[in-house]
Amino acid sequence: MATAKDRKHFERLMLRHLDASYNLALWLLHDTTEAEDVVQIAYMKAFEHFTSFTGGNTAGWILTIVRNTAYNWLSKRNRGSNLISFEDVLHSSQNNSPTASGEMNPEELASAEISHSQITGYMKTLSVDFREVLFLREIEGYSYKEIAEITQVSKGTVMSRLSRARGQLRQIITDQTHREKTREL
Amino acid sequence: MNCKQAQEKIEVYLDRELTLSDRRDFEEHLEDCKNCQKMLDNLRSLSTSIQQTNYIKAPFSLRRKIKSELRDVTGEENARYGWTHLLGSAAGSAILASLAVWAMMTYIVDPDTTRTQLITELTTAHVRSLMVDHATDIITSDEHTVKPWFSGKLDFSPPIKDLSAEGFGLVGGRLDYLRLDDLQQRPAAVLVYKRRSHTINVFIYRSTDSEENPRLNKRQRQSYNLINWHKQGLSYWAVSDLNATELQQFAQLLRS
Repeated sequence: MATAKDRKHFERLMLRHLDASYNLALWLLHDTTEAEDVVQIAYMKAFEHFTSFTGGNTAGWILTIVRNTAYNWLSKRNRGSNLISFEDVLHSSQNNSPTASGEMNPEELASAEISHSQITGYMKTLSVDFREVLFLREIEGYSYKEIAEITQVSKGTVMSRLSRARGQLRQIITDQTHREKTREL
Repeated sequence: MNCKQAQEKIEVYLDRELTLSDRRDFEEHLEDCKNCQKMLDNLRSLSTSIQQTNYIKAPFSLRRKIKSELRDVTGEENARYGWTHLLGSAAGSAILASLAVWAMMTYIVDPDTTRTQLITELTTAHVRSLMVDHATDIITSDEHTVKPWFSGKLDFSPPIKDLSAEGFGLVGGRLDYLRLDDLQQRPAAVLVYKRRSHTINVFIYRSTDSEENPRLNKRQRQSYNLINWHKQGLSYWAVSDLNATELQQFAQLLRS
């Protein structure tokens, strides 16, 4: 049985990643209550398996458990639609490379004055694996290798997912801005 | 490196994952290619927008619940009416905030007392802006909107730069009052920038006559980094929990 000493050690190493864990869960679930529940479950699971933690990247270890718990939660709640990757759809329907036609240039993108709430809203329309990779790279600043470890995919998949996620987000912003401009006219 | 090869590597470059030799080749190509420069700027703008999304502090109640459940697992008694309970309440939060300020004040070890008081003042102002969710009075990434907002509120005009292309997005600005070396309260312009999830507060106020040193002076207080410089009659303090290297990079960009 785990002792008070184990608990203190666990708290010292893992609770400092609580904000990152909570934000990752929020990015994946879009619900504060569910995010809290998932993080709590994940931390208890992590404590249960704490003896198997051999040291090293504490943030990576706990975030892996949080994301796995969040994915299980999503699948149990029958949110299958959220789990379908957009990768195939994107492949066949549009070119999301930075040179895609209709793309805003940097000035247009900057002057689009995207508010915090707008970008958060756009983010919600991305698939869960795209949101995850954007959060880990853009918000937490993890390297491709670290993201690959957390999400349990290859480094190549991380790179391709990241690129497609950015491409899709850029396209959403462009479409939305053009729609608003048309409405103004 | 030609355009096609450069475009294949552009995001890897943005993510600082290129090898040294590839980076050198890429930058060489970038110098002469307007098209690739534009694409890189575009990606940087997008990156900055994403980094400006709200980063929410985990609720205190969540921390409390986890700690309580962990104690249940280890068979330890939960202090229901002890500190854990107290800190969960609104009054407890106020006490916690006071204790945090008090702790900062008592950790002063720098022999230069007035300087240290200023550093404490700045750190406290930074923490306060995050705690009360009042980092900005005006929210905009447009430097031309922030600048006029300050005029009429201050007797100096703070230079404002949007550094979003360099990965430091301007979020907005606010007014603050600082107790400076002469213990007089003075108004300061505060520019708020974001780097990923990290907030950078830049405090700008009129220098005293003796201060005119453009060199970057680095300090650390608790887990916060502070960088100070003086330029053209104004004193600048950049305060953040961002790592020292990136904060220095930011200060260099702002100072230039």
